[in-house]
Amino acid sequence: MIRAKRKTGLVFFPAFDWAISPTHPEREERLLYTQDQVMEEGLLDVPGIREYRVRPAKYSDLQRVHFCVPDEPSMATESHLISAGGCLVAADAVMKKEVESAFALVRPPGHHAMKVVHGNRGFCNVNIEAVMVEYIRDVYGVKKIAIVDTDCHHGDGTQDVYWHDPNVLFISMHQDGRTLYPGSGFAEENGGANARGTTINIPLPPRTGEKGFLYALDELVMPLLEKFEPELVINSAGQDNHFDDPITHMNFSAKGYAELNARLKPDLAVLEGGYSVEKALPYVNVGIIMAMAGMDTSTVKEPGYDKHYAPQAPDITDYITNLMGTLKDQFLINPPAPHPAKNGEIITTSKRIFYDTDMINENQDERLVRCRDCAGALAIDSHSSKGNKMMGIHIPKDACPMCQKTAEKWVNEALDNKKFHHIFLQDRTKCTYEVLR
Amino acid sequence: MILGLDVGGTQTDAVVLEDGHVRAHTKTVNRPELLETLGQSLDKTLAGIEPDKIQRMVFSTTMATNAVVMDNMDPAGMIVSAGPGMNPEWFSVGPSYHVVEGCMDHRGTEVMALDKSQVKEAIREMEKAGVNACGIVCKFSVRNPHQELQLEEWLGDQFGYKALGHRFSGSLNFPRRIATAYLNAALHKLHTKFISSLETTLTERGLNAPRYLMKPDGGTIRLDKSCEFPAQTAQSGPAASVMGALALDGCKGVTLVLDIGGTTTDMALVLDGLPLWVPNGIRIGEHRTSIRSLLTRSVGFGGDSEVRVEDGKKLSIGPMRRGEAMAFGGPMPTPTDAMITLGLMEEGDKDLARKAMEDIGAQLSLDAEKAAKMILEETTKGMTKAVIEFVKRINSRPVYTIHEVIEGIKIDPDRIVVLGAPAPIVAPMLEKAFNIPCVVPPHYQVANAVGAAAAKVTAEISLQADTQRGSMVIPEVGLESAIARDFTMAAAMEQAKEALFSRGLAVGADPGDQEFAVIEKEEFNMIRGGYRVGKNIRLKLALVPGLIPDCNCGGQQL
Repeated sequence: MIRAKRKTGLVFFPAFDWAISPTHPEREERLLYTQDQVMEEGLLDVPGIREYRVRPAKYSDLQRVHFCVPDEPSMATESHLISAGGCLVAADAVMKKEVESAFALVRPPGHHAMKVVHGNRGFCNVNIEAVMVEYIRDVYGVKKIAIVDTDCHHGDGTQDVYWHDPNVLFISMHQDGRTLYPGSGFAEENGGANARGTTINIPLPPRTGEKGFLYALDELVMPLLEKFEPELVINSAGQDNHFDDPITHMNFSAKGYAELNARLKPDLAVLEGGYSVEKALPYVNVGIIMAMAGMDTSTVKEPGYDKHYAPQAPDITDYITNLMGTLKDQFLINPPAPHPAKNGEIITTSKRIFYDTDMINENQDERLVRCRDCAGALAIDSHSSKGNKMMGIHIPKDACPMCQKTAEKWVNEALDNKKFHHIFLQDRTKCTYEVLR
Repeated sequence: MILGLDVGGTQTDAVVLEDGHVRAHTKTVNRPELLETLGQSLDKTLAGIEPDKIQRMVFSTTMATNAVVMDNMDPAGMIVSAGPGMNPEWFSVGPSYHVVEGCMDHRGTEVMALDKSQVKEAIREMEKAGVNACGIVCKFSVRNPHQELQLEEWLGDQFGYKALGHRFSGSLNFPRRIATAYLNAALHKLHTKFISSLETTLTERGLNAPRYLMKPDGGTIRLDKSCEFPAQTAQSGPAASVMGALALDGCKGVTLVLDIGGTTTDMALVLDGLPLWVPNGIRIGEHRTSIRSLLTRSVGFGGDSEVRVEDGKKLSIGPMRRGEAMAFGGPMPTPTDAMITLGLMEEGDKDLARKAMEDIGAQLSLDAEKAAKMILEETTKGMTKAVIEFVKRINSRPVYTIHEVIEGIKIDPDRIVVLGAPAPIVAPMLEKAFNIPCVVPPHYQVANAVGAAAAKVTAEISLQADTQRGSMVIPEVGLESAIARDFTMAAAMEQAKEALFSRGLAVGADPGDQEFAVIEKEEFNMIRGGYRVGKNIRLKLALVPGLIPDCNCGGQQL
């Protein structure tokens, strides 16, 4: 009799009635064959694997993470709420110890959704991992969490949400931003002033194979996790590094994904991208579920593997070996020095964000309190090409009195300023979200 | 007149229905031999009835279940091809299980052909093992049965009966397909022999009317046709009770059916006359199958459940049954003894029952009456808890569309139908606990036999059409045909209906019964490189469980 060695929860929500557009990669068909394969394998019958029913997230779940402009209902459709809610169901299953780990096999994805949301970026509106992380923090009081993003695209949304948070270690392994959307995720992007070194980017070259991914995992990701000592590890389990994926250029496999998962042993995994709906996803997902359940995955192999998978080329191996040497030096041997600004100093930055799906440009001016005692108060002045001007003030979970006071001052200043159409106060110390204008 | 007969764990119930009324009903204590039990029950029930007045006979037997649970089956071999995924060796079953190379993908495209030499080797092994039936199962054979058919051909006339996985269910689930094919193969000879003996038993008594067997899905199948699907007749008892509730009560609204037996209480849900099904299939012994079944749940609370006092203070009821109640000469105090002590039941030895209660009472420093009351309260509490858990589980079943998440109906029973001997005693207690009407229908003691008598034939088919591949498959009827690129859902529906009705006729359905339900209806556009390359259509239709016209009167006459 087979049995899961680790009790594993599965939240499956293929959203068979939702698409961005009829021919978009995010369409009804995306998880159809995955469902077929999971059902045919009989995985849900394996003792120790338990399937959970999704529930929609509430707007208040989104407000722990995002500033939705103008508001949540116009940014998050039912499908986004259910996808995020699926992650919350997975989190509950693990946190209540009903299972040892859980996989939210849901769509639509979320890792390109940033803190401020004016529309859809890279198929994402709501950052489902971040919604899950903040829920876990509020409901279960967990402090230190690591997110390992193995989607082929840089998890720029998750990076943005946790840029200033020293208690969330965000590691993204992805195809080099010089060759793929969203064009970011370089090693220099290593966290905001109060969270240096808790954002780690591993830009891998196109054609990276099983060997390269597992090497990066063993050499860098695992030691970083060991050093950070998170209470919980989350895997943003995008599946578009697959050799058959139509919109990327990597060379990963179902076996590789299963092995990566088996070594990483995430407490929670969340599906992100992956658009080889027929030739990759069914096998990758079966591999991940089995790996999470601690089952032997050596018999999981996509039918095209022998014909279409070529082992990683030597030049790629050399490149990755060098890259890991450099990154290990930057993050493990000589970790980034603290930001030089004095305690209490206000650091200002500006950035532009492009929403590819909705064709929106956004400009942000950000103020952050350099703080040695907390993640620092944060004020985001954002305006989009749709004409919306927003001020979002964020008080982090562990905010010190100084940062709380500064945030209060910023709120009053914003209220005096007629230019903002919307003013939001996200006070994570009190778990509140106020729409002030 | 219609005869309905249900063989239970310890006794057999039978009824004769005439013009929608129960004309006769009997209970017979089971004999060691099933056929002997059947014979005795028939003789007792039909006493004074002309055999040629019987126009229809339905049997719910324990033959298949017992053979599986006691592992009394014939040696059956298995040939399996799997391809990538879970290791097929994990599903090894029976004395001679062989995995051969070969692979079909989820679309039904052959990825790797079968290797004849490996199959020959497997045949040699099965010969050595002395098997006399064989199960043939390939992964995704319900999408394309080609490899199973190929294996059947290569096996030729050897091993007699061959159970092809795709014929039993169109649902996806390879391990369950393996278990189902195996059980059908391993039960075939035994079942065929049993059917032939049963036919003789009936003919000897001049009973020549159409004969049916009860299935766990709440439906029936013609006796002779059941030999093709022997495993489909296992564990039909709980379904017979549910159909009995339907016949005797009508089960409008959201009805919870509780059948209180000696060892267990079985629960089921009926929504406006339609019983709920399990999503995947029934479990028989250790085998998880893809055999359709009503959603029933058994809990270890019955009239004869053992009552104990634990740690000197805690009353514990069930799940074991050590025998009959003490009032009937059994070894341990039971809820039945409590009922007798409180004067709720006439039968049984009152002194023995009281002694049982005094014994429990002594351990709890209570008198016999108080102990009896407490036992009944605890039993009701246990049942209540089990019902709440059962309903909660149904409501937490996963759904896969936004529509279902948002609109998803929440099942909340608005009435309870109680069956089984203690029903009139337990019903008022349950009514108090749930605060909804608790109904005890007439003939509640033999509802299972009434259900068997009244249940009509069920059947189910699945259709999958893939217009890019240009193929349509209805595995249960062995149909595979080419379709045009512009094949539509409407055309699929026509094909599916035709297949369902012909399948229904083949297993004994009334030609006039064309009432069917759409179990699943999905249509997907297949997009490759930004263009629509085809459509993927999925349909599942069923002749759902229901009552034959004579008995379909919502309990008004029965």
